[in-house]
Amino acid sequence: MNVNAENEKRPVIKVRNLYKIYRVGANKVYALNGVSFDIFKGEFVAIVGTSGSGKSTLLNMLAGLEPPTKGEISIGKKRIDKMNERQLVVFRRDNVGFIFQSYNLLNTMNGLENVAMPLMFKGVSRSVREKKAAKYLELMGVSDQARHMPNQMSGGQQQRIGIARAMVVDPKIIFADEPTGNLDSKTTMDVLGLMQKVVREQGKTLVMVTHDNTIADYADKRIRIVDGKIISIEYGERGREIEGAETEKEELEISLGLSEGTEA
Amino acid sequence: MKFSDLLRLSINNLKRRKLRTFLTVLGVIIGTASIVVMVSLGIGQAELQTESIESYTSLTTIDVWQGGMFGDGSSEEQKYITDEVLESFERIPHVTGTSPQLRVNVIAKQGVYEANLQLLGVSPAFLEEINVGEGKLPLDPKKLEFLYGNSVIRDFMNAKTGEGYYTTYEDPDVDLMGKPVFIIFDTSAYYQSHAPQSAEQAGAESGQPKVKPPKKYIVPTAGLVKGTPDDWGQYSYSTYCNVDALKAQLKSIYRKEPIPGQPTDKKGKPLDYFVYDNASVYVDDMENVKSVQDTIAAMGYQANSNMDWVEQNQKTMQIQQAILGGIGAVSLLVAAIGIANTMMMSIYERTKEIGVMKVLGCDMGNIRDMFLIESGCIGLMGGTAGIAISYGVSFVINKLYLRNQMMSGYVMPGSDSMGSISRIPLWLVIMALIFAVAIGMLAGFFPSRRAMKLSPLSAIRNE
Repeated sequence: MNVNAENEKRPVIKVRNLYKIYRVGANKVYALNGVSFDIFKGEFVAIVGTSGSGKSTLLNMLAGLEPPTKGEISIGKKRIDKMNERQLVVFRRDNVGFIFQSYNLLNTMNGLENVAMPLMFKGVSRSVREKKAAKYLELMGVSDQARHMPNQMSGGQQQRIGIARAMVVDPKIIFADEPTGNLDSKTTMDVLGLMQKVVREQGKTLVMVTHDNTIADYADKRIRIVDGKIISIEYGERGREIEGAETEKEELEISLGLSEGTEA
Repeated sequence: MKFSDLLRLSINNLKRRKLRTFLTVLGVIIGTASIVVMVSLGIGQAELQTESIESYTSLTTIDVWQGGMFGDGSSEEQKYITDEVLESFERIPHVTGTSPQLRVNVIAKQGVYEANLQLLGVSPAFLEEINVGEGKLPLDPKKLEFLYGNSVIRDFMNAKTGEGYYTTYEDPDVDLMGKPVFIIFDTSAYYQSHAPQSAEQAGAESGQPKVKPPKKYIVPTAGLVKGTPDDWGQYSYSTYCNVDALKAQLKSIYRKEPIPGQPTDKKGKPLDYFVYDNASVYVDDMENVKSVQDTIAAMGYQANSNMDWVEQNQKTMQIQQAILGGIGAVSLLVAAIGIANTMMMSIYERTKEIGVMKVLGCDMGNIRDMFLIESGCIGLMGGTAGIAISYGVSFVINKLYLRNQMMSGYVMPGSDSMGSISRIPLWLVIMALIFAVAIGMLAGFFPSRRAMKLSPLSAIRNE
């Protein structure tokens, strides 16, 4: 991060000192306890942690679905922690794609209509948006599902539709919450492969939340989170390329805090 | 988001739960139908009553009587109705015509039959209101002709036996159209000249000089008012003629003598103009009767119209309509609760879906609109079907009503006077439809706001 300041590469996502505190009765629960990191354009980032580590909370806040208690989230040049709900909706519509664990396709719509849905929210006319949606269906290899309803599709097919839907608005960032959580291992590999392809060929930034280390291995950069704190940031080969000379090592100084417990 | 897309989403959602949608719509159908039928009954009843009033009297006629009658000899001038006054009435806006009513009692004779007739000299405007059964209207101001009321024939009595319809209940053998009728205008002279002959019967003193019997005139019959002697109508009992012809006739009979019934000046000389007992003023529309009536009253005359009565009647009917509509509205209220319930259920069911839509960038307003359109559609469907059903129910009610009327003998089969008790005017249809949609949207308002405020997080949460 020290080098990046002068670098022409500006982070797409910049998070500084992010806290999320829930009150449970008289106790304060730190879902996120001072998190800071950067994500650059074209990166495939995995946020890895166990259940209850705060990884989903982090993703929700990056996507503007949940306001932080304290701290700063910038996406591009915009401070999304300062936006109200209406602005966030517009922001998401224009900049963010979403892939869900349970696919969340609308049962009343067929494959094509599901993919075209975010464009419908933008007010794009039906013929234009369906043409565009068909293109992404083809890219995901599920053109044959265009006229099928979600309940006629397998999980893998549904998730491919889901990915196509996330990409149809041509977002800067795609968020994926346990995208393979409901899939078998073979389909998982396929879907992850597709996601990698999206990042590499379409130049998207993808932030994925997972609890599974093998899945996280597909990412260029892995942010490990335990009890609301980042314990290490690891880079794959491509990740090092993107972030530049700074990172030969796989772990950051923050990770030193791991063995000592609560410092950092 | 485009409206067409919103509409499609909403309709798809309604289709998804067909039975539930149907049941909710059914509530609205019953609600709308009950309002429409109830109100249509109220309207039908009010209109029937107005129509029945209209059928035997005119609602656009104002009767004017001379004013100042009650001023007991005070300085207030007697407000006579003269031709001049009638002309001033004609200048009031919305007045289409006026007619004086010059009342004269005459005696008519045909063969042994004799009758006291109330003769009314009126203007063509008045005559035009009368339905003629036989012959024509006596419109010619130069020629004195009579139009007899359909029941006038019963006024003729056998002068020898003194029997008439009211003692024998048989219509006298008088043919007003076919045989000549002799008319005696100077009735007092007639009675005086007859007095000696009838002195034994009447028991009157006969000290007076013998009076020459007055002249009899043959007055041609122009026509008869429509109807049999049994039918009762506004024009049944009088005899009508053109007022100008009557005036000319009276002048030629009495010359310089005062005409009976006409006022005289202080010296007991007749006036050089006619004074009418009352007059009719015709107005273009029922709506304007009241204002014209007020204007005439302000001029110092007594004005009456049937509108006074009709208005009173309408007020009662309006209250009745409101009560009937209210009863119908209760069932629509129940239907509205049904809609609200359905919408709430739908929102609980679709919480996740709404969340997904929000995450994917659907405007909060669009989500609200989507639910509003859904509930509005329920209202629209229910309203449309409800109106269709109302027409059916209304048809059945009218059939039953008619049969009932016929059985009780109020209405002859095939008579053109049969009316419908349930009437659905276009405005009621439009109002009902708007009302149903508005109720639907109102019922969907709070659920839709709730949907709008749902957290998008619910979509992310994994079950």
